[in-house]
Amino acid sequence: MSAALETATVPAITTEDDISEDFPHIKADQCLFLQLPSGNVKQITLKPDTKIPLGKFGTFKANALIGQPFGLTYQILNNSGDIKPVRNTALEDIESTEANNREIFDSKDAQKLTHEEIERMKREFPDEADEESIIKKIIESHSSFEKKTEWSKAKYVQRKKKKFSKEFTPMRPTLYSVAEYFFERNPEKIGFLRVDTLAQILNFANVHAEARYLVVDDTQGLLISAVAERMGGYGQIMGIHDGLSSNYDVLRYHNFSKRILDSISTLPWTMVDKDEPTSDGWVEFTEEEFEGLTDREKINYTRRRKTVKRIEAARAVLNEGGFDGLIVASQYLPMSILDRLLPFVAGSRPVVIYNINKEVLIDAFLHMRSSKEYVGVQMTESWLRRYQVLPGRTHPEMTTSAGGGYILSAYRTFDTPNPHLDASKTEEQSEAKKAKTSQ
Amino acid sequence: MSFRKYKRYVEEGDVVAIHMGRDTLKAVTVVKDEIQSNKLGSFPHNDWIGREYGSKVYSKKGSFVYLLHPTPELWTLMLPHRTQILYLADISFISAYLELKPGSRMIESGTGSGSFSHSIARTIAPTGHLFSFEYHEERANLARQEFKDHGLEDLITLTHRDVCKDGFGLSDTVNAVFLDLPAPWEAVESAKKAFKQHRTGKICTFSPCIEQVSKTVAALNEHKFVDITMFECLIRNQEVYSVKKLTVDHAIQNIRYMDARRKENKAKAKRSIDEMKGHTSYLTFATFLPVEAGTAPAATE
Ligand SMILES: C[S@@+](CC[C@H](N)C(=O)[O-])C[C@H]1O[C@@H](n2cnc3c(N)ncnc32)[C@H](O)[C@@H]1O
Repeated sequence: MSAALETATVPAITTEDDISEDFPHIKADQCLFLQLPSGNVKQITLKPDTKIPLGKFGTFKANALIGQPFGLTYQILNNSGDIKPVRNTALEDIESTEANNREIFDSKDAQKLTHEEIERMKREFPDEADEESIIKKIIESHSSFEKKTEWSKAKYVQRKKKKFSKEFTPMRPTLYSVAEYFFERNPEKIGFLRVDTLAQILNFANVHAEARYLVVDDTQGLLISAVAERMGGYGQIMGIHDGLSSNYDVLRYHNFSKRILDSISTLPWTMVDKDEPTSDGWVEFTEEEFEGLTDREKINYTRRRKTVKRIEAARAVLNEGGFDGLIVASQYLPMSILDRLLPFVAGSRPVVIYNINKEVLIDAFLHMRSSKEYVGVQMTESWLRRYQVLPGRTHPEMTTSAGGGYILSAYRTFDTPNPHLDASKTEEQSEAKKAKTSQ
Repeated sequence: MSFRKYKRYVEEGDVVAIHMGRDTLKAVTVVKDEIQSNKLGSFPHNDWIGREYGSKVYSKKGSFVYLLHPTPELWTLMLPHRTQILYLADISFISAYLELKPGSRMIESGTGSGSFSHSIARTIAPTGHLFSFEYHEERANLARQEFKDHGLEDLITLTHRDVCKDGFGLSDTVNAVFLDLPAPWEAVESAKKAFKQHRTGKICTFSPCIEQVSKTVAALNEHKFVDITMFECLIRNQEVYSVKKLTVDHAIQNIRYMDARRKENKAKAKRSIDEMKGHTSYLTFATFLPVEAGTAPAATE
């Protein structure tokens, strides 16, 4: 328990996980993703009594969103930041016509209103009803609008609507949405770990509740968050990290319950070595000695003691060994990790190592293939393709991520000697020895 | 023994995954005094009992296998095929997109060979629940028995039913729905009712043909599901080959000394062009929206 991550780093906002608590509404102090009309996603923390600015899409009152359901789109009604739920826009069935795009010159000139004029209109009519009329004006001033096909008309309206509507759609952070958010925004931060690859890691490693996993996460916590979400706070996670304290920033975005955060323990690499002292020069004071300290010394002592106890507890967990899997997404060479951590993994448990570069995995792959300590050794590459699905216009997206990285996975085994064979071998050998010496 | 909880040592009654070589796995139930005979030899079960999982065990003649702890992933590789099944690439992606985790409540149809069911049950345990539907009676019975044998009984309710004709018979119950049926669009309406009505939910349909996707999308749209999208995902196996570093100088040398060297010069590393799965199915996803749209309830403490 004391090995738990200090809740100061990541405050838990609930005691129970969202799904068991079954609370469908947005809470104060929650991390949220807001889908904006531009297609961008903005991440916010919903601090009560504040106003949340969304740039050109306006500003809304945080309190107005607290207690509202997820999944709806909210419209900002006025400058004071009131909001009103509107329906999330479903895919609309758009009739296609025989007309085509042949006569359309879709140059910038086709739109006669200038950007400045549109912006001015927006300022003058900040209300919802006016928004429709702005869009109507824009359309009217589009010289070749009538000639467009139904399809491109619809698309045009949608595009304009999107650009000018003051709306946002709050989304619950989940394993999927968090991974997607960082992959699109800052893939280096998370080791270029794409969501499908992350999903595969979790399955290759058989991540589930009521188990114990050893995790090496250099993806700023994306991996460990995913493991934590799949364990729901049942079981134990041991994160081995760089530096003196862990940097699992991504954990913050999940709104994890206290139970889940408490299931995570961490240790720096130095503490993996059994001979390394937990803290140099640390002496536990007696009660008397403690009472003799100044107030400031007492605070320092108490703080230091808490850290030492936390690390000691975490080391006890690690040294117990028998982990149900080793899961790695690290900048360090896999062999150097295996050398140190394999002894802590129980038999038949998965070892799963991710890297964006295949080359990094090759040495370990060849080693595992020829070693008797692993079976089922495989290296895989993930491939993902997303489609636009629209009536009569379904096709793969035009641009896509070029690579999802590689996963090396295997099951840990023991090179158990053959009891029968060994006995006879030693007999043979000792007999041969006897024969030699007697000669 | 159970697919959802690890144990350290082999006991009588366990289902063990016997690893007999690369890509050769077999599920065997450990029974005292029984002998497992396979192409490698005869292996007495008594030798296995009490061993740590992951151990190497031997036949009388000295050949060996490894005893692996069963997992849903290994089960997918060794289960008796009664239908087409889902594999890891699709299973893992769908599980992530449907936000499966401990506590999730989910519908799956059809059960088929139970490949995905095992994985789902493992992921949503210990507090979630899977409602699985299969209209082929024999398949339903076999799967039900397997779930029981694998310690998943309390996590899965298997119903023998035609979900396209008779629906799921559930309302306001689940967070996620997965349809692997020839005509998933016929089950969309009933699926809608089964969702927990006051929160968002996710649905996935799994269809090999694009025409099926079109019909499904139309049905999802008609029933006001949103964020309709589609994916394909695959896993490509990687191998490492040793390749001779030959230069043109080698070629010249070879020609000069052709007679002397003719035999030696065959390349050693032989690489066959592997086949991979190029298509499994299209994964169509959509989001169910809470019904109370527009009439948001007041904030709760
Ligand atoms: C391809 S299999 C499912 C395989 C499964 N996903 C797995 O991973 O093992 C499809 C199954 O759906 C069943 N099925 C088809 N139509 C059905 C219906 N209307 N109601 C219930 N089950 C149905 C079939 O009998 C078949 O077993």
